Amino acid sequence: MLEIADVATSYGKIEALKGVSLGVAKGRVTCLLGPNGAGKSTLMLTIAGILKPRRGSVRLDSHEISGLSSAKIVARGLALVPENRLVFPQMSVKENLAAGAYQRRDASGIAEDVERMYSRFPRLAERRDQLAGTLSGGEQQMLAVARALMSRPRILLMDEPSLGLAPMLVEEVFRIVADLNREGVTIFLVEQNAHMALKVAHHFYLLEQGLVTFSGEPGKFAEDEVIQRAYLGRRRTEA
Amino acid sequence: MSNLTIDLVQNTIDGVMVGSSYALLALGFTLIFGTMRRLNLAYGPTIMAGAYLGAYAFLHLGIGAFPVAVLVLVGAALAGLYVERLCFRPFAQTAAMASMVSSFAVWMQIEEAASLALPRHLNVFPALVSGSLGLGPLFVRLDHVLMLVIAAAATLVVHWALYRTRFGLGVRTVIDHRRAAALVGVPVRRILLLAFVLASAVGGLAGFLIAASEAQITPMFGMWATTKGLIAMMLGGLGSVPGALVGGLTLGIIEAQAQWLLGPHLRDLVAWGVLFAVLALWPGGLMGAAAVDDATAVQRRV
Amino acid sequence: MDGYLVGVFSNIGIISFLAVSAYVLLLAGEVSFGQQAFFAIGAYAAGMGTAMMRWPLAPALLLGASAGALAAAALGRATLRLSGLHFAIATLAFAEMVRIVFELFTWQIDIGGTLVGPNGTNGFGDIRYLFENEITPAEYLCAIYLLLALVLAVLMVLDRSRFGRALRQAGVDPVLAELQGVPVVRMRLVAAAAAGALAGLGGGLYAHLLTYVEPRNFDVMLGVHSLAYGLIGGLGTAIGPVVGVLIDIGLLESSRLFVGYRMIVFGGLVALLLIVRPRGLLDERTVHWLTTRVRDLIDAAAARRRDHPLRRR
Repeated sequence: MLEIADVATSYGKIEALKGVSLGVAKGRVTCLLGPNGAGKSTLMLTIAGILKPRRGSVRLDSHEISGLSSAKIVARGLALVPENRLVFPQMSVKENLAAGAYQRRDASGIAEDVERMYSRFPRLAERRDQLAGTLSGGEQQMLAVARALMSRPRILLMDEPSLGLAPMLVEEVFRIVADLNREGVTIFLVEQNAHMALKVAHHFYLLEQGLVTFSGEPGKFAEDEVIQRAYLGRRRTEA
Repeated sequence: MSNLTIDLVQNTIDGVMVGSSYALLALGFTLIFGTMRRLNLAYGPTIMAGAYLGAYAFLHLGIGAFPVAVLVLVGAALAGLYVERLCFRPFAQTAAMASMVSSFAVWMQIEEAASLALPRHLNVFPALVSGSLGLGPLFVRLDHVLMLVIAAAATLVVHWALYRTRFGLGVRTVIDHRRAAALVGVPVRRILLLAFVLASAVGGLAGFLIAASEAQITPMFGMWATTKGLIAMMLGGLGSVPGALVGGLTLGIIEAQAQWLLGPHLRDLVAWGVLFAVLALWPGGLMGAAAVDDATAVQRRV
Repeated sequence: MDGYLVGVFSNIGIISFLAVSAYVLLLAGEVSFGQQAFFAIGAYAAGMGTAMMRWPLAPALLLGASAGALAAAALGRATLRLSGLHFAIATLAFAEMVRIVFELFTWQIDIGGTLVGPNGTNGFGDIRYLFENEITPAEYLCAIYLLLALVLAVLMVLDRSRFGRALRQAGVDPVLAELQGVPVVRMRLVAAAAAGALAGLGGGLYAHLLTYVEPRNFDVMLGVHSLAYGLIGGLGTAIGPVVGVLIDIGLLESSRLFVGYRMIVFGGLVALLLIVRPRGLLDERTVHWLTTRVRDLIDAAAARRRDHPLRRR
């Protein structure tokens, strides 16, 4: 569904992505692992249209989306739950959800979806008029996911959704990922927490220093080595 | 009521009347600052461009106050469009200074263009109604009442636009967190442009009301409007919409009292002094404590 | 050099002090719309020094610079908690208050039959030290540029020093600088005082050139202009703001082409320049490029001398 070919993105002179190629299969959960600084968030932001790649192509359902504005990409059915959640701090939970549906015009459909979010995330329902900036980390994560879902995306990108959350909440996050996937949403997940990620993923990639160095399916390779590299990066003594 | 009380109340009434226009000025300024996160030094001049367009038409075509008002708004909106495209759109988030100096350059452009169009210092501007209303020992100018009513109506319209329309939702998301806005599908660039033009039009309305109440306009108007808008905005709290209203009314009242008590010179001294004191003691302004950290964190990037 | 050119260049030199003053603060990461206040304070103080206290020029200029420095340090202390836009507006408020105070400030003494001294909105005239001591405009021009050259030399040396680097660091990222041991607050105050002294010195020179100053000279326009010079000429070196002044005053004065719509053309050019060069003509990158080129040339010349076949070993 999502095809990324030779994407290179730079911050000024620093080349964060050096030519990344990978594919996200429709209806599956694909996971991107990698140590800090590998470029995972950069890749997510590039796909979502926030950053423009120096070269390469990003195709969603065979349509080229690299170079499109982020607004147009959301309209095409792709939504990103960003690293650090990035909720609208001065707006209420309700307004955050409304913002998530910005590209939609069907008022009744939007209202239905809001109710659906409230039943899926009861804690958000309790705090619907509360300012998002005052929510706890876990609640903000729920909100960020719910907000992204408001655009009824066909593919959901999630950048380190378990970051900074207590273990119980981490489990809840991954449960949500599995549930969403079961409902038909394609998921592309970036994670540092390789253990949990490999439990839900159908396929994964390892990103190290701006390049994909490994691709495979859980259970079919030496997981320990991969997990080690995901956390620590390739050891310098290796060739 | 004692004479002192009567004077104080009268000044407060006058202050509120003028303050309502200051509030509109501050509202426009705040909308631009909130979305752009940088200072538009050409704000007053864009309003002046509209006002001069209106004055020019009034002088040469003899049209009435209402068509002049429309021209002023349109002129200010168009000038705002020019400023946004030239001074704000081309610059990255980190080039705040360049943006500001660029808006200063356009300020110079507009001032010269205005004096070319209407070379005289004092230029006639259509007045609104004349006459005044007596309420016991107090009196109110009718055109001031009209100003207050129009300003209040405009504020309500802006409030409605911000809180009850999709466009307004977009503007508020951009003000709150620009990147998150982009991620949820808000067309950030387009919203920035539209908000800028709207803010310029709001300023234009304020400019029309003020020029009409004075029945004249001078080339000093640009700087004057920028100054008043800036003081009112900072008093109320940077980037805060309710703050703009509070700041504008407060400034109007302070000026009216100071002028009556100390004369026109010291009135300006008091206004600046109050602003300085508010900044030194309550950087967040009278309303917007949260706005400080965000704005200063961003503005640190020179 | 004819009188008109001497006048123009004197003006350029004096305004350069103001431009450099705003530049020093910009390096420290602060935008100031108020340097014209210290320019005014320096002008009045130095003028009072020569015209009323009958001092020679040098101590009077020193007085002006010191007054500027003191006022700037005071303002700096009052605005310590502020940064960014809040600081900028506070400086603007301060400068306007100073200007209005000068409009109300009257202190005249009788010197040989005439009243001499600041006279509120009527300004401060009869600052006739140069005439009384038969200093020609050309001589004064040299004095101005000698002082300016000295100031620029000191600033350029400081820029390369640890102090200069620390100052720029504090300007770009105060939190990081603080973590790296840079005393950010103290540096800001030092920069503010230095900038105030520069503006005050310029003001003193200004008062004596014009022999008459009035509060209206020191308005917001002057302040915003002084900021703009640095941005146009470039923030990479202390010469940048001077280049900005040169471009503004020099080109505008000398071009008789666009009489009547000079500002429209000039303003448009500035706006376009900034799009291409957001940090001015002589921005940090350009200065770096220039200095490495110069260094390469010097190295190449030295190498040629070393390797010359006829050179004795």
